[in-house]
Amino acid sequence: MTDMPRKNFWSGLGVAALAVMLLTWIIPTYGGSGFAFGMQPQRLATLGAWLILGCSIVLTVVSAIALKRRGESIVATPDLGHLWHQAWPFLYVLGFIVLIDRFPLTWVAPLLIGGLLLLLGERRWYVVVLTAAIPTAGLYGLTAHLMRIGVV
Amino acid sequence: MIGFDAILNSFAAALHYESIAIILGGVLLGYIVGVIPGLNRAVAIAIAIPLTFYMSAYAAIAFLIGLSKGTAAGSAVSAILLNTPGEPSSAATCLDGYPMASSGKPRKALKVGLLASVIGDLLATLLLIAVAIPFASVALKFGPYELAAILIFALVFIAGMAGGSFLKGLAAGGMGVILGTVGLDPETGAMRLTFGFAELMEGVPILPLVIGTLALAEMFVQLDEYRRNKDASVIKLGKNADDDLSYQEFKGTLPTIFKSTGVGAFVGALPGLGPSVGAFMAYGLAKRSAKDPDSFGKGNPNGIAAAEASDNAVIPASYIPLFGLGIPGSVSAALLVGAFMIHGIQVGPLMLRDHPEMLFTLFSGMIVASLLMLAVGWYGLRIFARVTSVPPHIVISVVIFLCLAGIQVQGYGTFGLVTVFVFAIFGYFLKKFDYSFVTFLVAFIVTPMLEMNLRQSVILSGGEFSILLERPIALAFVVFTVLMVLHLGWTSYRRWMQARHKAKQV
Repeated sequence: MTDMPRKNFWSGLGVAALAVMLLTWIIPTYGGSGFAFGMQPQRLATLGAWLILGCSIVLTVVSAIALKRRGESIVATPDLGHLWHQAWPFLYVLGFIVLIDRFPLTWVAPLLIGGLLLLLGERRWYVVVLTAAIPTAGLYGLTAHLMRIGVV
Repeated sequence: MIGFDAILNSFAAALHYESIAIILGGVLLGYIVGVIPGLNRAVAIAIAIPLTFYMSAYAAIAFLIGLSKGTAAGSAVSAILLNTPGEPSSAATCLDGYPMASSGKPRKALKVGLLASVIGDLLATLLLIAVAIPFASVALKFGPYELAAILIFALVFIAGMAGGSFLKGLAAGGMGVILGTVGLDPETGAMRLTFGFAELMEGVPILPLVIGTLALAEMFVQLDEYRRNKDASVIKLGKNADDDLSYQEFKGTLPTIFKSTGVGAFVGALPGLGPSVGAFMAYGLAKRSAKDPDSFGKGNPNGIAAAEASDNAVIPASYIPLFGLGIPGSVSAALLVGAFMIHGIQVGPLMLRDHPEMLFTLFSGMIVASLLMLAVGWYGLRIFARVTSVPPHIVISVVIFLCLAGIQVQGYGTFGLVTVFVFAIFGYFLKKFDYSFVTFLVAFIVTPMLEMNLRQSVILSGGEFSILLERPIALAFVVFTVLMVLHLGWTSYRRWMQARHKAKQV
C-alpha cells in the first residue's frame, strides 16, 4: 500500500494554510499598492494564491476521501530516526552558513567537506584530506584571480 | 533579417578556437557530471552558472549548452556500466545497456549509446535551426493579447504534462507566479513582497533560487538515499576483440536511431514532457516494431539506440519553444533563460530581431557541441568508465561546498546564503511531495513577461474581454487552455474513479 494519499493530504493541507496566509496577510500587507491604469500590483500574486488555494483544497479533500475508503488513519506517527536522518544535513549546512558569515569560506571549506565525509563513513585519511584540499585550493585560486582582475 | 554572409560569419565565430575550447570545456564537464550517478543536468547547470558570470554572453551560453548536451550523453555510461542512470532519462538505457555490458560487451554497448546520442542530438539541432527561425518570425507579429494567452496555455500544459498530479502541478505553478512578482512593480514602482530587503527589489535573485531548489535540495535528497544504497558494482572495460562495434552492427541500429530521434524531437518540442518520456516512448516503439521484441531487455543494441537517440534529441528540440516563443519547456531551458537574463539578453523571438548574429552563432555552436560530444565520448570511453567509480559521498560533499561557494563568489553574501538555504528546504519539499519542479521554475521565469503582456492587454482593451473576438490567435489559445484544463481534470477524475473501483475489488 502506498503512502501517497497521506502525503498528499498533509502537503495539501500545508499548502492550503500557506495560501490562506498569503491571501489574508502577506499579499495585502506586503504586496504593494498604488494607482495603476492596468493591473493592480497585487493582482497577479493574488491570482496565484487563489490558484494554489483551490488546487490544495481539492487535493486535500480527494486524499482524505481516499484514506477514508481505504480505512487508513490520517495521522501516522513518523519514525524519529528517519526524521533525524532527513534533518541533520540541513542543520549541518545551516551551521556552516553561520560559520561562513563569520569566517572566510576558504577557511571553513576544508571543515565543511572533511566533516561531511567523516559523517558519511569515510575513514581513509588521504581521501578526506585530498577531497577537502582540492576544491578549497580551487576556490582560493579563483578568488585570488578575481581579486587580481578587480572583480571582487 | 540576417543575410547569408552574416550566417557564414556566425559559423566562423563558432569555429574559432576560443569558441571550440569553451564548448569543449562544457561538453567535457557535462560528460563527467552525466557519468556520475546522482548528479543531473539541472544540478550541473545550476552550479556552472556562477562560472559563466565573467564570460561573454555567447561564451556563457555556449558553455552551458555544451554542458547540457554532455550530461545527456554521459549519463548513458553509468546506466550501462552501473545499471544506475546518471540522469532519470537514461533509465530506459539501463534496460538493455546493463544486460549487454554484463554479457561481456560493455564497449559495444557504450559505443552504440554514444553514436545514437550524437546522431539524435545533431539531427534535433538541425531541426531546431530549421523550425525556430520561422517560428520566431511569426511570433514577432504577436501582440500582448496573443503572448499572454500563449504563456497561460504553456503553463497549464506544462503543469498537466510534467508528470505527477495536475493539481500539484498547478499549485507549483502558482508558487512560481507569486515568487515571480517579487520586486518593484513596473507600473507603480510599489515594492512587492520584498519585506524591506533591498536585495529583493529587482526580484528574487535567480542564482540562489536555482542553486537552492535544484542543486542543494538534490544533495539533501541524495543524502537521504545514500544510506539505503551504498554499494554498487561497476562493470570494467576489457580488451576483448568481440567487444568492438562493427559497421554492420551500427548500420543495423540506424533505422531505430532515426525513428527514435523523431519521437524525441516531437516530445522535446512540447513543453513540459521531458527526456524521460521521450526515451521510454522511443524504447516502447522500437520494441513494438522489432522483429524480435523478446530480445529487448536482454541486451538488444536497438534498445540502447532507441533510448539514447530520443533522450538526446529532446534537449535541442526543447529549445524550439524557447527560441521561437520565449517559453522554456524544460528545467534546463529555464536555466538557460536565467543565464541569458544574467547577461542582459531577452531570449525568445526578440533575439531574432535584436541579436540575430548571436542566435546564429549559438546554433552553430550547438552543431560544434554535437561533434565534440562524439570526439569526447569516443576517446574518453575508458576514462569515463573509471569516473563511474567515484563514491557518492565524495560527490555530495563537494557539490554542497560548490553550492555555497557559487553564491559566495558572486558576492551575494549572507543574504544569498540564507536565500539558498531557504530555497533548498523549499526544493526538498517539492521533490519529496512530488510537486512539479519544472512548472514552478517555468512559472517563476515567465511571470515578468506574462505580467507585462497581461498589463498591456488590460490597458489596450480597457478591460473589455470582447476584444478577444478580434484577435483569433489569442482567442484560440484561451479556448485551448480551457479545453486543456477540462481534459486534464476529466482524466484525473477518471483515474481516481478507476483506483477507487480497483480498491473495492481488492
